[in-house]
Amino acid sequence: MTGSTPLLPRRTALLAGMTALAAPAVSRAQGTSAGAPLRLGILTPLTGAGGFDGPRMLKAMQAVGEEINAAGGLLGRRIEFAVEDDQTNPEGAVRAARKLIDVDKVPVIMGTWASAVTAAVAPVCWESKTFLTTVSGADSITQLPHQGYLIRTQPNNHLQAGKHAEFIAGTGAKKVFVMSLQSPFAMPTQNRVREVLAQKGAQMTGALLYEKDKTSYRSEVDQALRTRPDLIYLNGYTPDVTILLRELYRAGFEGPRFAQSYSVTDKALESLPREVTEKVYTVQPSSDVDSPAFEAAKKRLGTGVDSYEAQATDWISLVALTIAKGREATGTALRENVRKIAQGEGTKVYTAVEGLRLLGEGKEINYEGASGPCDFTEIGDIVDCKFRYQIVENGAFRFLKVA
Amino acid sequence: MLSEIPQLLINGIMAGAILAVPAIGLTAIYAVLRFPNFSLASHATIGAFAGYVANTQLGFSVVPALFCAFLVAGLVGLLSDEFVLKPFRSAGFITTAIGSIALTIALENVVRFIFGNSLNGYDLPMQRDWRFGDLRIGPQQVENLAISVVVMAVVFAFLSFTRTGKAMRAVADNPSLADIKGIDAARIARIVSFAGMGLAGVGGMLIGLDTSIDPLTGFRAMLSVFAAAVVGGLGSIPGAVVGALTVGIGEELSLLFLSPSYRSVIGFLAILLVLILRPRGILGQRAY
Repeated sequence: MTGSTPLLPRRTALLAGMTALAAPAVSRAQGTSAGAPLRLGILTPLTGAGGFDGPRMLKAMQAVGEEINAAGGLLGRRIEFAVEDDQTNPEGAVRAARKLIDVDKVPVIMGTWASAVTAAVAPVCWESKTFLTTVSGADSITQLPHQGYLIRTQPNNHLQAGKHAEFIAGTGAKKVFVMSLQSPFAMPTQNRVREVLAQKGAQMTGALLYEKDKTSYRSEVDQALRTRPDLIYLNGYTPDVTILLRELYRAGFEGPRFAQSYSVTDKALESLPREVTEKVYTVQPSSDVDSPAFEAAKKRLGTGVDSYEAQATDWISLVALTIAKGREATGTALRENVRKIAQGEGTKVYTAVEGLRLLGEGKEINYEGASGPCDFTEIGDIVDCKFRYQIVENGAFRFLKVA
Repeated sequence: MLSEIPQLLINGIMAGAILAVPAIGLTAIYAVLRFPNFSLASHATIGAFAGYVANTQLGFSVVPALFCAFLVAGLVGLLSDEFVLKPFRSAGFITTAIGSIALTIALENVVRFIFGNSLNGYDLPMQRDWRFGDLRIGPQQVENLAISVVVMAVVFAFLSFTRTGKAMRAVADNPSLADIKGIDAARIARIVSFAGMGLAGVGGMLIGLDTSIDPLTGFRAMLSVFAAAVVGGLGSIPGAVVGALTVGIGEELSLLFLSPSYRSVIGFLAILLVLILRPRGILGQRAY
């Protein structure tokens, strides 16, 4: 009998332990009931290479969240954010995503920036039926088997290259040569530019891939000039594009050159003589600067709004409106309903609060965002987006248009 | 296709001549100290930035700015060898070589801390290339070639005609014998560290004159410089020149049948071929 004495306390302890373990689950279950905050996940890079954009994207989402809460919340509940740092690092990002999904039980993760990070986080999301919104641009992202649990507001490579070719053809150039840094975006860009130029009555006379980290590209420039192009598209990064611009000047090329704005920056203009950069066109994806949504974002943030802040504004707006439309805060409901409020024949709305009010009145809506129309293809790419074009004159950028 | 060969040869000679200067520095350090000093990359960057400051802040023209590049990179090389790499040497050449990689990362970040990550350009007028029929040659390149040739001539004269130069060759050929003859190996090591890294600095600035500079300028050229030194015979100073021209011309001629995106493969292929057929390099390993 002596041995049976401690049995009861052990059972009691076991029971107490099970109760303690179950308590958070009970409280979580209670937390999802009406009136409790609705928790949404944010996973932006707060450190690492994306450390410049991540914090601003976070603030843009928090600002929209506050606006929704001030207008009465979502499904009668306050929005609360669970925020993690993806460190611009796939390994750290996956750990953070697991925490958001397993501990915070969020239905959505908003904010991955680098393509490598998104490629790592996306499988974790679709396996756990969590919706993911991203700004990563690599074509491969939306080609992942994500089963609809992913959308991105950044134009993919295909869309960008098509728009570039349309602009180039619009300059009157008939013969175009493309010099691309060897990279995952090089060949898709060349192929798309060739296709669109042909449709527009121009021609890609040739293209080449060059290696990064070389100190000279004279022979590559010779190869390009042998085709006698009207315009040369330089598709690389700043270190190589600045060398190419110098080499093209030395070789006597007088025609316009076209490059991404991240490769021909203000600092690059400072480091190059004026005559070298004269008549260089630059392009970058642009927010829809004339839209009421962009104006509202500017007012909300009290500063200038860049493309990343505009996209972050659109993620949280789309997520809030989708949850209101489906009356359910789960990843699967987000997947099923996001296109019902992002596109279609409904009344155009430009802010989440405006959309929530109309949905509350039982009306259909079509959210038009600060970054663009926010209409998505089946695989989660945006259908259209605006681009900002500039030209370099006398060593400085002159704005041409957003189109 | 054949009509392209003369232009490719010119481009290759120009590129090779610039590569030769830091390659001489690398091989001279190897000849005396017997380890590949990978911190040459950051010293090339330091030289490029020293020349940049001399040119843009102090208003020096190219040649005086190159002297500044030589002096500053040489001085940093001397100090970093004395205080960082020298203690490694007793642990063997692999440890010292790895130590030099750590050193180059540290120095590169010092440059980044001071000058930032952005590109910087020298304050020099841009000139169009001269044209001779189908051939084109850049005035800046011709100047760079001339400077490289003069620097190489000075190095060879120093090794051939000065007492210190001869002592360096003696230490490189047979350290024990040089020691018996009373040559101070530690002093020679300091001289070669100063001169070798000074040459790296000159090479870095020559590369920068043709392009723009940033904290990775030296790092980008390092593979080709190392290939040049190995192909010519690591430790052989004329070999470094031959190796640099081989790599420079080889990379350019490869464009006849390869996409430009495979240019660097020529450097590696040259190393592989030479190591298989002539393990001591084209000119062997005698310093001179």
